[in-house]
Amino acid sequence: MRWLDRLRMRLQMLVHRRREGTRLDAELEFHLEQQIAENVAAGMSAEEARYAAMRSFGNSVAMREQVREAWSWNGLDRLGQDIRYATRQLVRAPGFAVTAILTLALGIGANTAIFTLTHALLLSSLPVRDPGQLVRLAMDFHMGTDRSRNEPLNLPLIEMTQQRARSFSGVFAWCVYDFVFRDGDVIQGRRGAIVGGNAFQVLGIHPAAGRLLTPADDQPGGGPDGWAAVISHRLWVEQYHADPGVIGRHIKVTGQGVTIMGVAPAGFEGVLVAEHPDLYLPMEFAAAIGRTEQELHSGAGLWLDAFARLKPGVSRGEAQAEMSTLLPKMLDAVLPPTIRRLPQVQKTTLRVISARSGWSPLRIEYTQPLLLLQLLVGAVLLICCANLSGLFLARASARQQEFAIRGALGAGRRRLMRQMFVESLMLALPGALLGVGLAWLAGPWLLHAVRSNQSEVSLSVAPDPTVLAVTAACACLCALLFGMAPAWVAGHTNLETGLRTGGQRAGGSSAGARRVFIPLQVALSLSLLVVATLLGMTVVRLRTQDTGFRAQNVIFYVADFGRLPQKGADLVTLYRRILARMEEKPGVEAASVVEIMPFYGWIYNDGFTTSADAQHSATKTADVNEIAADYFAAVGTHILEGRDLRNDNADLNSCVVNRSAADLYFPHASPLGQMLHQVSHNLVTGVTTVRDCQIVGVVQDTKYDTLLESSPPIVYRPISKDTPGLPGLFFVLHARSLKEAMAAYHSAIHELAPASPYTDPATLEELMRDSMARQQLLSVLSGFFAVLGLLLSGIGIYGLVAWSVTQRTREIGVRMALGASRTRVFLLVVRQIAVLLAVGIVAGGVGAFFAARAVRAFLYETRAENPGVFIVGAVALLLIGLLAAIMPARRAVSIDPMEALRTE
Amino acid sequence: MGKPNDLVQGTLDLLILRTIAPEPMHGWAIAKRIQQISRQVLQVQQGSLYPALHRLEQQGWIRAKWAESETGRQAKFYSLTAAGRRQLEQETENWNRLSAAIDLVIEGA
Repeated sequence: MRWLDRLRMRLQMLVHRRREGTRLDAELEFHLEQQIAENVAAGMSAEEARYAAMRSFGNSVAMREQVREAWSWNGLDRLGQDIRYATRQLVRAPGFAVTAILTLALGIGANTAIFTLTHALLLSSLPVRDPGQLVRLAMDFHMGTDRSRNEPLNLPLIEMTQQRARSFSGVFAWCVYDFVFRDGDVIQGRRGAIVGGNAFQVLGIHPAAGRLLTPADDQPGGGPDGWAAVISHRLWVEQYHADPGVIGRHIKVTGQGVTIMGVAPAGFEGVLVAEHPDLYLPMEFAAAIGRTEQELHSGAGLWLDAFARLKPGVSRGEAQAEMSTLLPKMLDAVLPPTIRRLPQVQKTTLRVISARSGWSPLRIEYTQPLLLLQLLVGAVLLICCANLSGLFLARASARQQEFAIRGALGAGRRRLMRQMFVESLMLALPGALLGVGLAWLAGPWLLHAVRSNQSEVSLSVAPDPTVLAVTAACACLCALLFGMAPAWVAGHTNLETGLRTGGQRAGGSSAGARRVFIPLQVALSLSLLVVATLLGMTVVRLRTQDTGFRAQNVIFYVADFGRLPQKGADLVTLYRRILARMEEKPGVEAASVVEIMPFYGWIYNDGFTTSADAQHSATKTADVNEIAADYFAAVGTHILEGRDLRNDNADLNSCVVNRSAADLYFPHASPLGQMLHQVSHNLVTGVTTVRDCQIVGVVQDTKYDTLLESSPPIVYRPISKDTPGLPGLFFVLHARSLKEAMAAYHSAIHELAPASPYTDPATLEELMRDSMARQQLLSVLSGFFAVLGLLLSGIGIYGLVAWSVTQRTREIGVRMALGASRTRVFLLVVRQIAVLLAVGIVAGGVGAFFAARAVRAFLYETRAENPGVFIVGAVALLLIGLLAAIMPARRAVSIDPMEALRTE
Repeated sequence: MGKPNDLVQGTLDLLILRTIAPEPMHGWAIAKRIQQISRQVLQVQQGSLYPALHRLEQQGWIRAKWAESETGRQAKFYSLTAAGRRQLEQETENWNRLSAAIDLVIEGA
């Protein structure tokens, strides 16, 4: 077992280093004594014998070194030495160490924070069996001029895929749902999911308690014991304190009796990232709480996310090819013929996308912003490194004498360079640690910026092993970057000059290197500044534009009247009575209902024509919304001509249009009194219906779906028994204060529709803010990074000029002694920096140009090539740079020539 | 006189292994023995001997023990391990082959 002995010996050498050293000395001493004894025996005197023996011994130091070489752990030994030495150096210069560590903490911390978000949203794998095999099926199709991508499927399509596709070992449906959870006295709104019966099997997870759902549970009416539910681990701990006795417990979910059959494993949050479902119920449960059976199994409409697991050995490409051939036949079987023949449907494709990290609609919105932020934050880190490199370089050039001595004593070039890298690491690692702490603190704030009112976004931003590993790598990379320049200086010190002059006038090459960093920092800072300014301008434009709404004190509530006995015309009457009651409440200025809330994300549009022969005329599309009276008063839209709609059945054939619609359909005349014919194609039945309406009013243009679009033409119709989604219209109240509005809603509902549940409100301000959440996030963060970059660049410039002045003290003293005026000296110092600034600004201008073009996609009504922004940015940088340079320059001016000449 | 520094490192190893094969010895004795047996031709300097000894020890061919020497002082005695013995045979064979080949070239060419 030789290697075991060797290992043991190596460990011994490592642990008992000193003892082995003593023993080696003893051994050599013994040898020496024997030699001396031999010499004496040969006739020399004691002293001669000793000298002769020691001469023959040779260089004992070198020999000891060689013996030590034979022992292992030399590398570790030297590393330990380097670390101890580096620590001593840093402790002796606490100001430098603290500055460096803080700078790094900011740079690395910012990177970590953004990467944590990126990782949580885009990269982290699902905690299921073999997540690499999971895929998502999505439809892409064209509807008129829009292209719809990443659309979900529906139940018949999913079932058919399960039956016919051979690439998948399992296909399941998944849909998030909001439930009302009720257990005894506890009533809460909880997010959950309705899932296909085979979902958990395909995912391959094991319950923390009880059992998971099976296909037997996914039957109409539930399984043999009624409806089965699985609760999340979080709910299990919060509500039931992880009591295993929860299995078999009967609870009510949205009014239906349900039995808890199992608990999902800890850390499992379904397949939709950033959703935290607490209740999992089978797909058929949807029919019990709102949708009809027919709706559930209808082939029209796309609302169910479909996921599948690839069979082992099948690649995504192969699955994609198979689905492409299967899709036309599936559509034939599932869709009614009228829809099937539509050209948009002909061009539908089905994509197989990797679902290793699940899926989230947030990704569509946030992938690009997050990538942009990573780039920005990377630029900040580069500026940090440039700064540190300059600082380090200055110190290294001051230590040239030390390097020269070490070199003269036999240190190799690589040894000296390694020493500098170790010093860099000794700064980078604490900086990274501090940075991780900062990122952890900033995490919740970042999340808050990403969340929107409608979707509960709760990404875990606790430090994750992947993120920590990336941070450590980042720190090492930084150490490498900013350690390179000083390492070069250390390794290539000219021994002779270093020893002689003592390294005081080490100007030369190191100053040259420092001079490169300043333009680099300035260029990066200018790019950051331009990007931040453009994004800031976008946010300002978004905020201050005329949206057509008055955002203060307007609140929306969704109605949940599905289980009330009133239907159709009776329900409309109920709405009107509730609105009348609300308007009587104290503080309420106006109350109404609307079919689609502003910025909700749904669009309902239809074709309209002015021609009397509606069936056969070409139509122009407008967005449609169905409202009650006082809607415009509630949201603050001005009525420009005519009147508002009225809350009575005589007005059912009236409509109101906005300015854009009026210009679209009646460009040359007033639209009041004109007839519009709404031509609706029912895709399911294939029947075309025409509804006429007479225009009674014109309102100003408003936004419909997002803040970023231009105002579309909108036609407003009164609510009627035919309004789609009649049980779920949105109440809108405008009152003197939000509290009065909320109180009015609650009391009116309590009086007139007590059987319906209360729902959560959304204020118009929140809705508008969420509509520009991305731009807001980008603008705030990029502004922060731009300021950070400016600060760091300023510090870098200050440092360079201060150091340069120190270096040139003698020269300045000589000049002043020879008669140079203070102004000339001042200009001399500043001129150097001004040149560097100019170079940096020009380079930065080019960089900023490309950066601005890269963010074009996020801008709103702001030109990316706006020259004003560049000029303002350049001037700002110039001012900051000069300011940073002037402070040490003034110190140069106040040098006393005699003092300067005396210092060395 | 062949100075040991001209010896290839492996040859010194071979000499050391062979010398301590019969009985354990300390460094001084090894050097003296080599010098003696080679009739004063090979004189191993301390600068080569001790690094070689420690290297062989690290590699596991020899092991060391501190014991009392003939003078009464403590000294480090080296002895062959089993693996060392096998290594000795191996190296002896290599050396024989090498020297035979060199002989052939000198006589034949």
